[in-house]
Amino acid sequence: MIRFEAAGKTYVSLLTRRRVEALADFTLELQPGEVVGIAGPNGAGKSTLISLLLGFLHPSAGRITLDGLSPRDYVESRGVGYLTELVNLPSQWKVPDALGRMAVLAGIPASERDGAVREVMVRLGLEEHRAKRIKQLSKGNLQRVGLGQALLGTFDLVVLDEPTHGLDPLWTQRFRDIVAELRRPDRIILIASHNLDELEQLSDRVAILDHGRLQRVVDHGTTVTADAVAWRLVFEGTPDVAAVLPGALPVAGREGTWRAMASRAELSRGLATLLSAGAVLVECVPEQGRLASAFHEAVKR
Amino acid sequence: MTRDRSPLRYLGHQARDVARGPLALFVVVSAGLAFILWRVFGAREAPDPADLLGGLVAGTLLVAVLIAAGGVAGNDIKQGYYRAWFSKPIAPWWFYLQRWLLGGVAVLTIPLWLGTGLALAFGAGTGISAALVGNVALGYLLIGGAVLLASTVSARDWLVVFLVYFFQRRLEEVQQMLDGLGQDVPWAVDALVRVLPPFHLVTPGAALPEGGELVRLLGYGLGMVALAVVVLRSRPLGSGGRA
Repeated sequence: MIRFEAAGKTYVSLLTRRRVEALADFTLELQPGEVVGIAGPNGAGKSTLISLLLGFLHPSAGRITLDGLSPRDYVESRGVGYLTELVNLPSQWKVPDALGRMAVLAGIPASERDGAVREVMVRLGLEEHRAKRIKQLSKGNLQRVGLGQALLGTFDLVVLDEPTHGLDPLWTQRFRDIVAELRRPDRIILIASHNLDELEQLSDRVAILDHGRLQRVVDHGTTVTADAVAWRLVFEGTPDVAAVLPGALPVAGREGTWRAMASRAELSRGLATLLSAGAVLVECVPEQGRLASAFHEAVKR
Repeated sequence: MTRDRSPLRYLGHQARDVARGPLALFVVVSAGLAFILWRVFGAREAPDPADLLGGLVAGTLLVAVLIAAGGVAGNDIKQGYYRAWFSKPIAPWWFYLQRWLLGGVAVLTIPLWLGTGLALAFGAGTGISAALVGNVALGYLLIGGAVLLASTVSARDWLVVFLVYFFQRRLEEVQQMLDGLGQDVPWAVDALVRVLPPFHLVTPGAALPEGGELVRLLGYGLGMVALAVVVLRSRPLGSGGRA
């Protein structure tokens, strides 16, 4: 279990003594078997949170424990499958060499190492790039190498920071399949991403950060379904939608098209009234994902 | 899957990196120096190999150590490579100490390459002695230890140590000169010479330091290596969210 207890991180400039509070009073527990997303605008504190979790930074306040151990003790004894936001490996290494070295560090026994590297290369479509050096890879291929090294070894904690950064739609979908395959009852998967749609599809809960503070935790199973989200409604003709869904606004230049904020229950009641009065519904789609609605509400942007 | 927990499991990769980098450079430069000397001395009387080798090692040791130990930790930290390495189950202090020790092995082979080159050039022996090898080892411990310590906080570790080395040697020369002239040494000069690592005690061409000098040299060298290990164990490697 991972436990953040009022964790905070403040950076202090050595020269000017200027203080920047990157994370404050962050409290959250992550249980084995969970896939937890971390969402937030740029500078919200996501990367700082991950650096604290991996022991690359010490908290200025509060406490972080992983199975009762400090982050550094945990990582040094058990290891973590970690994909960095910006994949950084020595540029002159060739792809199999880079993955081979990471397999050694991951503690894969010598007898299984070549097989593990080969498997990851096939899984991530890197076979055709085996003769290339790291510096010759495109952004997407480099991201796949980064993901590959994170998948080498069997760790109880997997941390993926902006995992689909630079991936094309095909590999973005493949990545989602890989994360689904990574799910295990004794494993925690933490994904930090700007991509709310991705987090909504992959994670069980999403912690929304803004200005270094945890704004809310969105649980897909319960909380979101009760929240109001934006809907796009298209009717034949021009029924008075605002009369049954307060706050609904017609979309300028598109006859019969409305935008309404409503929970599922409110929407159902409103639509029932309109349809019983003879309105013909052409389309009803959520304008934003549920998580996106919760996100915008949480960060007030 | 059983996990390979040996702390030496990455040693082979680091050894290959050192062999392809500093060690290969030392072999090539040694061969080049031997060739140049052979051309310079030509058919004239061959110099004493021990004197020649001692002089050559003394003249190249600082640069060799800066090459072998430079950037050991600082470069990884600056480039951000540490994020990939140390998400795996390995301790940074051990990873970098191991790499530093391999750099020392590479430096210790310099007398071998140079001596062999001189023997082939002049046919008068290699000039290698236990004292020379011992002095090279002490030189790596002291200068290389300073580089390792500087590397925990800066990617320009080699430059930091070069400047401190240059400064300490000049101060020590001033102290010697004033002593020789029978004048009082300013307290600040005296204090700095005492506090800074005793680089002047590294003398590859001479006999091994003894007694208090040896203790001081070993103390500073081992102390700086130990301090570097403490820093690597306790100081977080990151300096910012994405650093």
